[in-house]
Amino acid sequence: MWNVIKKLIVGLVVGGVLVGLTRMFEFPVIFQMMFFAYAMLGSAVFILLDAPALKPMGGLKSVIVLVAFYIVLCTAFISGASMWPQYDPQDEMGKIDKILKPKRLLTDQGKADELIARAKALDEQVKALTVRLKALGGDQATKDPAAGGSGASPATTSTATGDFMKMGEEQWQLQECYNCHKLKGEGGKKRGPELDNIGTYLSVDEIKQKILDPKSFMAEGFEKEWEKGKMPDKYKDLMEENDVVALASWLGTFKNTAVPTPKPIKKK
Amino acid sequence: MKTWQRSLVAACALLALFGGVAYAQAPGASPVDFPYTGNRTAVWIVAQLHILFAAFILGAPMFVVMSEWLGYRKQEPRYDRLAKEVTKVTVILYSMTALTGGLFIFVLLATYPQFTTWFINQFYLVFAVIYPALFIGETILLYMYFYTWDAWKGEKKSRHIALGVLLNLVGLITLFVINGPTSFMNTPVKAEGISPQEFLLTASLWDKVANYSWMPLNLHRIVGNVTFGGFVAGLIAAYMYMGAKKDEERAYYDWMGFVGNLIGVGAMLFLPFMGYLLAYELCDYDASICPYMMADQLSMFFEMQGAMIGLMFLASNYYIWLSMKRIEGADKVRMTILAPIVMVLLPLVMTKVMEVYPVPDPMSLAFLLPLILAPFTLGRFIPMTVSARTVIKVGFLMVVVGDAIWLTPHGFVPTGAKMVAELELPSDWNFLALMPAKNSAAFTLVFVTVINYVIYNRAIRQGTIVWGKIDFVSQFVLIFLAFSSIWTMGLMGAVRSLLRKYYHTYNLLPDFTAESFTPTLSYSAWWITGITVVFFAVVSFAIIVTLRPSDAKGHAPEVSPVPARAK
Repeated sequence: MWNVIKKLIVGLVVGGVLVGLTRMFEFPVIFQMMFFAYAMLGSAVFILLDAPALKPMGGLKSVIVLVAFYIVLCTAFISGASMWPQYDPQDEMGKIDKILKPKRLLTDQGKADELIARAKALDEQVKALTVRLKALGGDQATKDPAAGGSGASPATTSTATGDFMKMGEEQWQLQECYNCHKLKGEGGKKRGPELDNIGTYLSVDEIKQKILDPKSFMAEGFEKEWEKGKMPDKYKDLMEENDVVALASWLGTFKNTAVPTPKPIKKK
Repeated sequence: MKTWQRSLVAACALLALFGGVAYAQAPGASPVDFPYTGNRTAVWIVAQLHILFAAFILGAPMFVVMSEWLGYRKQEPRYDRLAKEVTKVTVILYSMTALTGGLFIFVLLATYPQFTTWFINQFYLVFAVIYPALFIGETILLYMYFYTWDAWKGEKKSRHIALGVLLNLVGLITLFVINGPTSFMNTPVKAEGISPQEFLLTASLWDKVANYSWMPLNLHRIVGNVTFGGFVAGLIAAYMYMGAKKDEERAYYDWMGFVGNLIGVGAMLFLPFMGYLLAYELCDYDASICPYMMADQLSMFFEMQGAMIGLMFLASNYYIWLSMKRIEGADKVRMTILAPIVMVLLPLVMTKVMEVYPVPDPMSLAFLLPLILAPFTLGRFIPMTVSARTVIKVGFLMVVVGDAIWLTPHGFVPTGAKMVAELELPSDWNFLALMPAKNSAAFTLVFVTVINYVIYNRAIRQGTIVWGKIDFVSQFVLIFLAFSSIWTMGLMGAVRSLLRKYYHTYNLLPDFTAESFTPTLSYSAWWITGITVVFFAVVSFAIIVTLRPSDAKGHAPEVSPVPARAK
């Protein structure tokens, strides 16, 4: 028993030292707790090493102990896995739906679904119009100003541009470009160049060319990555023309010269 | 189960396969909705179960034939008995492999008919001709191998061993063949500048099979299967040891557990490197797979993998510790002081070296090889030695340190997008979460285990093993190792499948169903545990059914219950 207590004390002391050190180096609390847990794991291991031998058992007793052991294992593995931070599938579902929507439309099932959806939408519109006509008392409804009248033109254009840029930003998120490229100080793990000043170096058409054919330009300092073809050559197949143009146009607006975006060298 | 019953099961499975292929050709088949689990999880359960059985029937014969050969060469009947007992269990599990394989095809066809039709068309020759032919061949060979065991003894033993080698060859070819379509789903053929769909039209069957991840998957599965087979042999030994009533039986199953564990651990030492090779090739195929695995949706799956592997290394080294305790005279064994020094230095030095010369730069070996080999090359020139007990205890400390490094994440967030300062490693310590540190952690675990086995080897040369007298807790360690290795296999199998993201076949055939998203680790853990429990229940049943009656018949004592000079 003294042996167990001694090892527990050692574990607590080591854990305490680790917490102190990690606090000194400004580790977040969760990491401090993690290092403390490692110390206690070490303590448990050394307690186990010098534990007295387990007496042999047989018959029903061994079966019961075995079943209990399996239950402990199952509980430990499930709860162990559940203790890690859990990814929320909801974060992904909307994205996947948006990415796959154009592809789904190309399939027979997708076309049928689209027709059904359109028919339903039309039906809803007819119902709404009927209600509105009834409420207005017949022909007054036709005198309403059209949504796309001449006066609305600049606003509509501006909205359209804004929407287009939004679409570009959305593509940045959907295609998960942030996993390799840093932009606005977010994302990237030095796998690809930082893009805050890309608009200064490349035109929208050139950015589009780079997305569709990653070998067309090479960023300075990323020779190895370029040679290995680290940027996936798949976006020409995954993205619609409109989406690529939107993404390229959005990226083309980034002209922050304070950020050292590496100079792209034309290769093709 | 009698031969005709086993044959009937195998025939039913083949019928299911052919029937499935024929059904897949029927136009307009619409998917069904599996209640409670949903379609994807239903396929997951059946596929995983099938792979577990398949892994055992491919892994076990590898060491069965090795054991038989050792028995023949050393003229030791216990090796032959081990081989035969594991083969008995393999034969029953072979039927389960065939059954779950047939079930897998049925469930796949019912739930994803369009995809399955397309997929079978891509590999028609494999699914309709090559794979069934190999499967039938393997079935015939396995039954021949099993039923000629007693007939081909003495002078005919070498013929029997040759048959076992042939069985393994056919098994390996079967594995390689079926890995073609499996790996194709992750890394379909592609060429620069051409769309995958266009390239697929011109690709030959060989192009499709020999894809990017095919060979790494082959290697990973071979090593994984041997590990798995070894640990299941350990499980069989643990069950039988627990049920043994005679000292001879206990001595024999103690020995069998040790051999099973030795094979399991021996193969497990290579697993991190094989897994790394597979991950490297996947990342090379498409760089966006890498962050998805390591930094985004699946990052916590890898944390769990780290925890499991860490526990398995702790358990396997604990088993060596317990094994050492039953060797009389083990306390006299000493080792050079360089061994514990290298153990302690390894994670630090290796992290630094790998930062400067990252994998696959061979320059790192110029620094690391001399360090790793120092205890063996320089040890004899240094007079200072320490006891085996001290070396093993330092080893345990370093296994815990290795686990800690492996497990330390970049941040306690499920995806990089949710990273906040309160949950992120300080930037100066970020190296702890990068690959050089993880590689050094994995290698420390491997190095400590190798040193422990070297010590064990010295102990059995200098001392005397008392078989059957091992601490009873060791049997639970063997069971733990088998359960954990199977659980980890389920986890990594899920990861490999999930890497296809929202595609049935990556970048080629999208999965339009509502279930095409990354499930949570917790959800996955529930199902992996469930699958492992079902597999364990079947294996336990097979062990009891096949090996229990042997008690009544009795065996000639292969191992002396009294302490004997170790060989």
